[in-house]
Amino acid sequence: MERSDVRSFYILAAFLVCAYALPFVIGVQSGTVHATERWFAYLTTVVLSGVLQGGVYAMFAVGLTLIFGVMRIINAAHGEMVMMGAYLTWVCFFYLGLNPLLSMVLTLPIAFLFGMALQKLLLHAVVGQPELTALLVTFGFGLVMIYVAELIFTTDFRTIPFAPATIQISRRIAISQNKLISFVMAVAISAGVYLFLKLSRLGKAIRATALNAEVAMVCGIDVRRIYLITTGLGVALAVAGGALVSIQFGFNPETGIVYTLQAFAIIILGGRGHYVGALIGGLMLAVLESLVSLMIPNGTAMVELAAYALMISVLLIRPGGLMGVKES
Amino acid sequence: MTRREHLRNLVLLGVVGLGLAFLPHGLSVYLRSFALFTMMYVVLALSWNIISGFTGYTSFGHVAFYGIGAYACAILVADHGWPWLATLGVGAAAAAVAAVALGYPVLRLKGPYFAIAMLGAAEGTRVVATVWDGLTHGGVGISFPSTENSMATYYAMLALMLVTIVVAYVVGHSRFGIRLNAIREDEGAAEALGIDATRYKLAAFTLSAVFPAMAGGIQAYKVLYIDPPSVFFVQITIAMALMSMLGGKGTVIGPIVGAVLLYTAQELTWVNLPTAHLIAYGLFIVVVARFMPRGLMGFAIDRGWARKGMVH
Repeated sequence: MERSDVRSFYILAAFLVCAYALPFVIGVQSGTVHATERWFAYLTTVVLSGVLQGGVYAMFAVGLTLIFGVMRIINAAHGEMVMMGAYLTWVCFFYLGLNPLLSMVLTLPIAFLFGMALQKLLLHAVVGQPELTALLVTFGFGLVMIYVAELIFTTDFRTIPFAPATIQISRRIAISQNKLISFVMAVAISAGVYLFLKLSRLGKAIRATALNAEVAMVCGIDVRRIYLITTGLGVALAVAGGALVSIQFGFNPETGIVYTLQAFAIIILGGRGHYVGALIGGLMLAVLESLVSLMIPNGTAMVELAAYALMISVLLIRPGGLMGVKES
Repeated sequence: MTRREHLRNLVLLGVVGLGLAFLPHGLSVYLRSFALFTMMYVVLALSWNIISGFTGYTSFGHVAFYGIGAYACAILVADHGWPWLATLGVGAAAAAVAAVALGYPVLRLKGPYFAIAMLGAAEGTRVVATVWDGLTHGGVGISFPSTENSMATYYAMLALMLVTIVVAYVVGHSRFGIRLNAIREDEGAAEALGIDATRYKLAAFTLSAVFPAMAGGIQAYKVLYIDPPSVFFVQITIAMALMSMLGGKGTVIGPIVGAVLLYTAQELTWVNLPTAHLIAYGLFIVVVARFMPRGLMGFAIDRGWARKGMVH
């Protein structure tokens, strides 16, 4: 590593330490921190569920980072695809009576095909264009998804009652079962995709295209096919994320934008286009969010602010994120 | 461009301005406010175009300045009893300060990173407006004391639009504008030629923040109620970008044409397709961005219907 690179890493690390300390400082000042055993148990619960949630965030952020890494396209409709996954799971649960985890067998191939169609019809044309074109195309597409969902499902909040029981870890620490199941599934899927990218021939071709599309083309890789598969995979990951989110939180057609911005923040924190970076970023963001919501008054709004502030600060301190991705 | 052509354009603008000045007396209340909002979008698209069209830094969070202007107006009028015209100046100043403070660090980012950072900044501003109860009344929003204002706001918006057009035109034809274009085409080369890119970018960014803030103030006074989701609405930014793109990004006439066309189309679909108008709007965004990235002006130049010089 170069010296400036090392320095910016340390500055970023120091910044993150401060970012994690800040909720505690504010908490002490506004009296939401208590030095009792009970409060520490509460803190542990919240941080633990943050970690579990982080696994899910990380998984759908990986979808965004894949698409961005390979094609330099920011998918502004990524959150809407998460939302689509939630609704697909909901339909499977209430109309087909399928278990949300089993229904992925059905919804993920659908999502993969959906992504391929999207790539074929819209995104092929915008690869290599100025960023505004891709942003507008995907944003417009996201709007269509939102309002189509409103037509079909109305704006009512939906929930899927699945595994709502809690697991008692100690006398005071308990986490809900669906969070744990989501986390395990998210880790399994992320690991599976990681191994696919690392080991399989196709995965290597995807990584080669991300590294340098022209050279990949010269080596005989069919880059357009790689783009198709990448978008299919990215959308499938978002939809899987939607399935895992839907069993934990309520959702309506407009919940997507929050997930989009969270995924942006995660891939920037981790280093855009970087797979492992996105996983680490997902965990870190979720833990920060849980600390903020626990200790800062007005927490729910502040959670959003934390994500945006983190994203902009990382861009300014170290645009390559934790992993220090270089501009190619 | 020759002096004659400049003079011709000035006369043209004067005629349009005069026409619009006499227009509202013959119009229904609905059409008057339609005209006002069309003019507002001309202001917004033209301002966005100064930083994103001329300079090439795609701002995906310009609505932040619009919202700041709207809040400056609402707070000062509703809570402190200021005359509303004076608040527009305060809003513009606040937006300028915000633009310098935000732009100085963020304009170092390029391409998609600048766009994302601006999107985050705008959403962040919305959250601040929601959380800062003491100043903004939080999520409840602010209501103005009710007044008859449709004529006053119409003329204010008309004046603002004319000023914005003149400023955008002057910028587009000045050395300043040429330097901004140089930064857009190749920032490194521009710096090598001795252009202080940071300063020019910051100036363009600040200039592009001032007019949306005033438009936001006028709009707030027109509808007499604001709350964070309505004045920090992401789709207002999208509209600015889309209108500029539809007409022709980086030109002066393009964003004006785009704003008029798109706002009219939006209103027509809203009236005629109440259930599906937002779907139609989304599809329209996709189609324009996908098939016409250089806009109508680019389309016309390609076919020889317009000279490059005429467009600027």
